[in-house]
Amino acid sequence: MPLKSYSQKIYHDVGIPLQDDYFLDEPEEIVQNKSMPQLESAVRIVAERTERGEKRVIHGDVLIVGAGISGMQAALDIGDKGYKVVIIDKTSTIGGSMVKLDKTFPTNDCSICTAAPKMVELSRHPNIELITYAEISSLDGKPGNFTANIWRKSKYVDPDKCTGCDDCVEVCPVEVVNPFDEKISMRKAIYIEFPQAVPIVYTIDYENCVGCGSCDRVCEPEAISFLEKSEEIEVHVGSVIVATGFEVFEPTEMRREYGYGKYENVITAMQVERLLSSFGPTEGKVLRLSDGKKPKSIGWIQCVGSRSTQLGFPYCSRVCCMYATKEASIVKEANPDIDITIYYMDIRAYGKDFQQYYDHAKDLGVKYVRGRPSSVYENPDKSLTIRYKNTLTGEVEENTADLLVLSTAIIPNQGNKKLGELLGVEVDENGFFKQQSLLTDPIQSTRDGVFLAGCIQGPKDIPDSVSMASGAAAKAVAPIKDREKHIGKEFPPEQDVSFEKPRIGVFVCHCGKNIAGYLDVEKLTEAAKKLPNVEYAEHMMFACSEDSCKKIRETIQEKGLNRIIVAACSPRTHGGLFQDTLLEAGLNKYLFEMANIRNQCSWVHSHDWDAATEKATALVRSSVAKARYLQALTEEEFSVYPCTLIIGGGVTGMKAALALADMGIKSIIVEKEPKLGGRLRHLHSMFPSDIKTEEIIDPLIKKINKNKLITVMTNSVLDNLEGFIGNYKGKVKQKGKEKEIEFGTIIVATGFREIDLKGRYQYGKNKNILSQTELETELKNNSLKEPKNVVFINCAGAMDEERPYCCRVGCGVSIKNAKLVSQKFPKSKSYILYRDMRVFGKEEEEYYSDVLTNHHVTTIRYAAEKKPEIILDKDRPGDGSVTVKVYDDILNEEITIQADLLVLTINTEGEVMTEKLKNMLKVPADAAGFYIETHAKIKPLDFSTSGVYLCGAAHYPKNLVDSIAQAEGAASRASIPISQERMKGEGIVAEVNEYLCRGCGICESACAYSAIEMKPHPKDPSRFVAEVNRALCKGCGSCAAACLSSAIEQKGYDSKQINVMIAALLEKEVAA
Amino acid sequence: MKKQLLKSKEIDAIKFKKGELVAEVEELCGENLFGCYQCGTCSAGCPFIEDMDLGPDEVIRYVVLDRNEVLNSKTIWICASCYTCAERCPRDLNITKIMEALRQIVLRKKIDHTKLVKISKKERESIPQLAFVSLFRKNIG
Repeated sequence: MPLKSYSQKIYHDVGIPLQDDYFLDEPEEIVQNKSMPQLESAVRIVAERTERGEKRVIHGDVLIVGAGISGMQAALDIGDKGYKVVIIDKTSTIGGSMVKLDKTFPTNDCSICTAAPKMVELSRHPNIELITYAEISSLDGKPGNFTANIWRKSKYVDPDKCTGCDDCVEVCPVEVVNPFDEKISMRKAIYIEFPQAVPIVYTIDYENCVGCGSCDRVCEPEAISFLEKSEEIEVHVGSVIVATGFEVFEPTEMRREYGYGKYENVITAMQVERLLSSFGPTEGKVLRLSDGKKPKSIGWIQCVGSRSTQLGFPYCSRVCCMYATKEASIVKEANPDIDITIYYMDIRAYGKDFQQYYDHAKDLGVKYVRGRPSSVYENPDKSLTIRYKNTLTGEVEENTADLLVLSTAIIPNQGNKKLGELLGVEVDENGFFKQQSLLTDPIQSTRDGVFLAGCIQGPKDIPDSVSMASGAAAKAVAPIKDREKHIGKEFPPEQDVSFEKPRIGVFVCHCGKNIAGYLDVEKLTEAAKKLPNVEYAEHMMFACSEDSCKKIRETIQEKGLNRIIVAACSPRTHGGLFQDTLLEAGLNKYLFEMANIRNQCSWVHSHDWDAATEKATALVRSSVAKARYLQALTEEEFSVYPCTLIIGGGVTGMKAALALADMGIKSIIVEKEPKLGGRLRHLHSMFPSDIKTEEIIDPLIKKINKNKLITVMTNSVLDNLEGFIGNYKGKVKQKGKEKEIEFGTIIVATGFREIDLKGRYQYGKNKNILSQTELETELKNNSLKEPKNVVFINCAGAMDEERPYCCRVGCGVSIKNAKLVSQKFPKSKSYILYRDMRVFGKEEEEYYSDVLTNHHVTTIRYAAEKKPEIILDKDRPGDGSVTVKVYDDILNEEITIQADLLVLTINTEGEVMTEKLKNMLKVPADAAGFYIETHAKIKPLDFSTSGVYLCGAAHYPKNLVDSIAQAEGAASRASIPISQERMKGEGIVAEVNEYLCRGCGICESACAYSAIEMKPHPKDPSRFVAEVNRALCKGCGSCAAACLSSAIEQKGYDSKQINVMIAALLEKEVAA
Repeated sequence: MKKQLLKSKEIDAIKFKKGELVAEVEELCGENLFGCYQCGTCSAGCPFIEDMDLGPDEVIRYVVLDRNEVLNSKTIWICASCYTCAERCPRDLNITKIMEALRQIVLRKKIDHTKLVKISKKERESIPQLAFVSLFRKNIG
């Protein structure tokens, strides 16, 4: 049926109206072929199904709405446990907001580089069904049995055929504003969001396409399909996770005084991210939008749209201080000549290493001015004048900036209300999704079986979103835990080819024109055929396409090939795909080698046909040389003992145990105190609500005691530990007795303590000077006498030279305690002396402003250089009132307060046992005694040592909301090996040659994963040899590089293989 | 630099019904002064800031710390009630109302620093008539 007929076009429901001249320049017979292509793939299936009036039905376990970093993390966590995940995203790719960022604070890691591997992993995961360009339209049912309807919009491009070659974009005549680049660049009507998009499938923008058909004419794989239809998909799942993220405040209506939208050089912070990004419109250069020139000065205005009870949102947006600091320091580092000023109210550098990051920015020369600008005017040269009051000097000043950046707030998605209604979940007054209980159940939404992850619940940075996403993954598994699990893919048995001569097959990919357009693939193939041991060589249009993989599989069997080389793109993105092809053909997946002739030849030498061809030939030659020595590698399999050890029985540890129990997994809690409850036992109530601690811990303890899957050991300390992931044996000392326990994974939830002030602030010398914990204990015991004046001093022992970090929780605690004292004694006056008021979490800013207004608490800011002075009474130094002297910036004078109660918010550090525990667990900890996670951004709950996880204040002090999210997240991480029952190690691991090993131990310290241990030689106990634990080895090769006696070889990359590769590269062309 | 304010015995002698200045101001204007974050937006945006001895934010600070000398400040009289501060305040404080409350506290005590005889002839000619009328009305109460 030719598409030329009108009835066909009309019949096509939401199709693009095709113009009549669409086929004019093509002869009739081609029209026949092209217009009615052999709809063999998904497109045809959808078309036929719709014709029959049916819809696609997917039976899965968990539905995840939104595939940003939170959604992806949740999907991977659940998929790894063996349950089927359906994940949808409303855009045409996954990655969400994180991929738009240039770098991430406080480590300055490249954002896309940390997100992209997760994106690729997700798209290749056998348990994850990814549906992009789709939105949820209804949700019915109850936990364990939900039915959701999903509307998948047509991309008008066949995903099975599209190779991502970019040819269509070049010819598309329509240019539209690019929302991915925050409207500062243009894109075509056929587009991918960004080069690393997953899936790499182009999308036709239905709104803007003119239907000229240019893309269709140039598309070599014939992937453009105007026949593709939008479809409704019915999904049956047991639970739902909502992770739809956030929007960024656009200051066009509100906060117009800053001139956004009116002045060209006033931009938002997200636009700066796009300018800084290497794949942004300026490829990493920060330029003025008005004239494309490099700015001489840049200003950042903080809290645009946040912390505003009028013309904005009342909450703190949590990330802006740090992202502004990050952007400013990146710009300053690259261009020291640019003058940079940040205008702020409070710098909220609350997280791990954040304060140090902020201090570093100041050292770089970024200027911070405390004052909120009132207005912005444009000058004739398009620079901007900012009018502000420097509240530290009291002067009203004006400053000009060539470029002005507004640190705009994270705000709820506009569609949140509608989405909430459709999901049956309540939305809070700001528009974020409401949680069941902020303090005790932040992940659970108001509907059973629907869970929240990331910024849908409130503004969050990446690690907090990732932790929460893992937590949601744990909770979402609970209703479906008894369902059948699917671990790994099934493949035919492997043939043993170790005794065969190498029979190498070389497959050269055209990648459309991407490779074939820049070098001679035929010549390359011919050259490959002539190489020794090459039995077969061929070039194919797209090696990664379904039919090409089938061809490779058939050729392996037909020609009896036992080593395969694909000369195409990067093994990072495509290696796994071809390895699967090998497995399907019955070959060991390590008998595969990839030559990256696209990135390394056709892309970088696009102007030189001959050189590109020569280099490609050399790369293939060296791959063939290596392939001759490739060996089948085995992946060690080991069983996992189905129990988790939780060290620490505070709220975090208890929540982790309960989350594990909900997933049907046993756990043992080891607690050093006689009772469960941790720090909360000594506290009165929790910030930012007034829930008493007993109301939080008592129900938890009750639940734990009732749960048969949880064993509690109080008065106990882990004394000795042996083994590795899956197979740990530990000795626990309980009241002098020793008990042996067995477990598969470990969660560290040891919490934190207040530091020793060593007499500073006169602490310990007067009984009216208390720490926050002591005050809370007194409040709890009702033993506090009525004070006239109460002074709280924040940051005691924090953010100084000795301890440069912020304690994250102190501001909140002091505000809550000021409220408690004022409530109890309405006549007493409270003063909080602070440095920056760091109340950043959900409902915290609101709580703070409520305490200020309703309890008339006076706040006095003090500078780091002018710490408050405390003078004891001469006559009664031990129990008299104390005099507090503090310099007030606003009044510009010293204020003296006679306080009969002085409360110090003391900085925190890791627990006492950290030192011993970190050696036992082989995990790192920082100078303050807080454990160091694998990756500050995307792996906040894992240690580099497999099988050990951390959560709560052991990682860094944090409030209850974040601790609980982390506890549930750690439970999810720790349950993955247990759910998989058997674990597979890496095939590429280090191997020690016992004869050559001198037992020097250099490799042991070089190993980042604690996989190497020095052990006495079994036959000659007098000498030590290195032993590699194959379960822990990640195959990084550090040990092989470090070994002085070349006693360690990296399997799959051994010296022989590398040497022949180098030799082959240096060899002159064999054919010539 | 420390701000120098005028001293006035009359103002120092004012007794507040509610006991303290903050309470009095809050009752008169209905604004909660403790909500102020001291960001300085009001001062930076004020069109008359050059002529003021205290910025509007400093006025709030004085009141919060219960310092009666704020009533001696020129600021409260220079304020033109243009509402720019109230419009931009992120804390939604109506600073204009606060200024009016402070003025009212002084006015209700019939305290006036204007000495008619001290106004020079030249000044007298340039000051609009309405200003004098207002002044007389104010003093009559």
